[in-house]
Amino acid sequence: MTTTTTVGAETPGAGPKTRRSPLDRVSWLRELVLLPVIVIAIIIGAILTPRFLTVNNLVNNVLVVSAVLGMVVIAESIILISGYFDLSLESVVGLGPMLAVWLVMPATVGGLGWELSPILAIVIMFVVCAAIGLFNGFMIGKLALNAFMVTLAMLILLRGITLGISGGQTFSSLPFLFRVLGSAKLLGISVQVWIVVVAFILAAVFMRHHPTGRRIYAMGGNPAAARAAGVNTLRLTIGVFVVGALIAGVAGLMLTGRIASVTANQGDGMIFTVFAAAVIGGISLNGGRGTMLGAATGVLLLGIIQNILTLSNVPSFWINAVYGVIILGALVFGQLTSKRGKRAG
Amino acid sequence: MTVSAADFAINIQGVRKEYGPTVALAGVSLQVRRGESRALLGRNGAGKSTLIGVLTGLVNPDQGTVEVHGTEGGPAEGAGSSTIACVYQKSTLVPDLTAAENISLGDYPTKSGGRVDWAAMRVRARKLLADWGFEHIADRTVADLEPVERKVVEICRALARGPKILLLDEPTAGLDEGGCQQLFRQIAVARSRGVSLIYVSHHLNEVFQVCDSVTVLRDGRDIATELIADLTVQKIVDLMVGQAAERAEAEEAADPEHAAALTASVDSSDAAVAISVTGLKVGDRINGVDLQIRRGECVGFTGLDGAGHVQLAEAMAGLVAPTSGTIEVNGKKIRGGSIRECIDAGIGFAPEDRHISGFVPGMSNEENSTMTVLERLRNKIGFINGARRVKQYHTLASAWSIKAAGPTQSTEELSGGNQQKVVLARALASDPTVLILIHPTAGVDVTAQESIYRTLKELAQAGCAVVICSADDVDLEICDRVIVMFKGEKHEEIPRGWDERTLVASVQGHLATSGSNT
Repeated sequence: MTTTTTVGAETPGAGPKTRRSPLDRVSWLRELVLLPVIVIAIIIGAILTPRFLTVNNLVNNVLVVSAVLGMVVIAESIILISGYFDLSLESVVGLGPMLAVWLVMPATVGGLGWELSPILAIVIMFVVCAAIGLFNGFMIGKLALNAFMVTLAMLILLRGITLGISGGQTFSSLPFLFRVLGSAKLLGISVQVWIVVVAFILAAVFMRHHPTGRRIYAMGGNPAAARAAGVNTLRLTIGVFVVGALIAGVAGLMLTGRIASVTANQGDGMIFTVFAAAVIGGISLNGGRGTMLGAATGVLLLGIIQNILTLSNVPSFWINAVYGVIILGALVFGQLTSKRGKRAG
Repeated sequence: MTVSAADFAINIQGVRKEYGPTVALAGVSLQVRRGESRALLGRNGAGKSTLIGVLTGLVNPDQGTVEVHGTEGGPAEGAGSSTIACVYQKSTLVPDLTAAENISLGDYPTKSGGRVDWAAMRVRARKLLADWGFEHIADRTVADLEPVERKVVEICRALARGPKILLLDEPTAGLDEGGCQQLFRQIAVARSRGVSLIYVSHHLNEVFQVCDSVTVLRDGRDIATELIADLTVQKIVDLMVGQAAERAEAEEAADPEHAAALTASVDSSDAAVAISVTGLKVGDRINGVDLQIRRGECVGFTGLDGAGHVQLAEAMAGLVAPTSGTIEVNGKKIRGGSIRECIDAGIGFAPEDRHISGFVPGMSNEENSTMTVLERLRNKIGFINGARRVKQYHTLASAWSIKAAGPTQSTEELSGGNQQKVVLARALASDPTVLILIHPTAGVDVTAQESIYRTLKELAQAGCAVVICSADDVDLEICDRVIVMFKGEKHEEIPRGWDERTLVASVQGHLATSGSNT
């Protein structure tokens, strides 16, 4: 079946076997369009406040504070790439640890009173997270309900349950297992940072090189084409929502660990920042486009900006407004550069 | 002619239209009287669409005059859609609005202060719908209506601005037999009120029910205009096909080698059966089809729109689930309704429309062409082996002669022909024994078409069973036999060597064997 006519049709740079074409390097660079912006942000930060550009601040403030956001961004990015989205992730961040702690704590401090072992409680927590994802995925994939409405309703429901079981109170003096993700350090760096970095690498490799990862891209890019190529889109849809909810559960444990307590409003309002980071990082809201590496730069940029705003004494009541303006600016910038990048590739 | 020009609803004289080197209309004249019902017929590429464009004012003719109801539009202005109401095959209704609101869409009656006058809108809709006997649907949502009711709403909207000429383009698409008859009765009623009709359809039997006269276009000319009473289906087919069949034969005689290369058949009469279908039913689209295809055979499926040939191919590929009947691939029965199962059983499938379901726009050529076989590209730890994927892509690219900048180029950047080849490559990636291709050369230039045919021939010679589902004669010419579907049933099988006339008559539901003596 090999004809000789076509060898000449390929460009010389793209010979057979493993040699990569120049185009490949461009598309790899395209994922890093935010890098110059991050550099500019760092320079501005260094000028505004001398406390910014120190290893201690960058690692222990910027990265540690971004870690939870980063985990949820990984979850949201996978779901966005698959062509859907999930608003309820932030309420999973809240409900997960609250549920686990509630199962562990004695009734005298407002727990359920079963006083389960922390390990068992965390296992139950992940089962519940998976069930939430399963339910979302089933409603959206099988019953073809609108992802916005299903996950919005789920967001409200889970927030309500969190408030209901906790009675609105904050649990502190938690068992070791709930604090370890905040206090532990490895090579002097918080375990939170290690977790999010490893998770980003795993997710990036999975999405780029695993057959299932590629199927997620195909489904998000053109669901009909994916189906016609034999992809089981229902299973994949349910799968991404389950995985997303599980990752959000881990993020919840990390947040609880960091602040060494669990509050009834943990994760509240976080989903907006999650979407902002993913979209600034090049994840398309229409599905099928964007990479984990890009999403990571989005998280990093928002983390740096947040840190600069805190350090440079912007009145705390104004931080959100400034943050919003910067996100809008970053979106416009991302749009302009992605257009240029498209033509180049 | 004794009738004065003013008696014509439409009077087109010597209209010509060129697109670059292509002559779409080479001088067409068309005169339709008030109250007349005229069928406009012709094969694909005869100039029908361009003429419709001229009538509706979308296309400005290079030469000639267009008069509608005695007022000259002239070549520059065209006729304009305010005088001719058009209803196209594709629905243009807003599904979630009521029938009444759809009819007044964009032209809302208003009360003081610019508020929408709902009462007036309802009255107007009722009045228009009453002419069709569908008064009761005015307040219902379009999404809840029957197909024929929707068609009527569409026609009423077209007539709402008062035109007296109605242009219907394939109006029966999506209607069942009862719906068609209902529509024809209503069309007759409308005509009794003096509405003139231009009727465009591939279904010739409809023309005999709806029209008084027929104009046949061929190669951009109006070949004949005759009263329907003087015509038979066979005569219309002859007019539509004309000398084309003879010309093709002459071309083949002039270039015997080329023709022989494409039509050379592999003797597969004793080869193993690759796919066998028994009593296949799919809803009311396919009513019991039996067929067998041997390895090395190339079989065409064809028919009019909605005849079931596309559904048959899709059911065999696992895209739609059969209601009953069995499909066996290489002697093994498959459950049906699952593409994955079919790929694993040895079926390769290229879907109908590459833009809708053929490829993923943002993905690279290597990814799009290997999407069906990701499992086979895994390395030991379960991830995709990049080197193997590139190798697989190069094998496929050379098999289909894909011209691309390289494996990592995005498929959406390719030309239509090469995009199609990537879709075909995807079908071939799983190394199938049965290859099912729907409209494999749609929107593809001649060179790419030739290249696709060559590959298909090579594949058949290598022992692959090839199914080509198409309405394009050229696609079907390379087949060893053509299975013609008519109203969900296998109408007949035509062996290689058919002429165009036989095929055109057969898709209309006539038997090629009995009609060939005319």
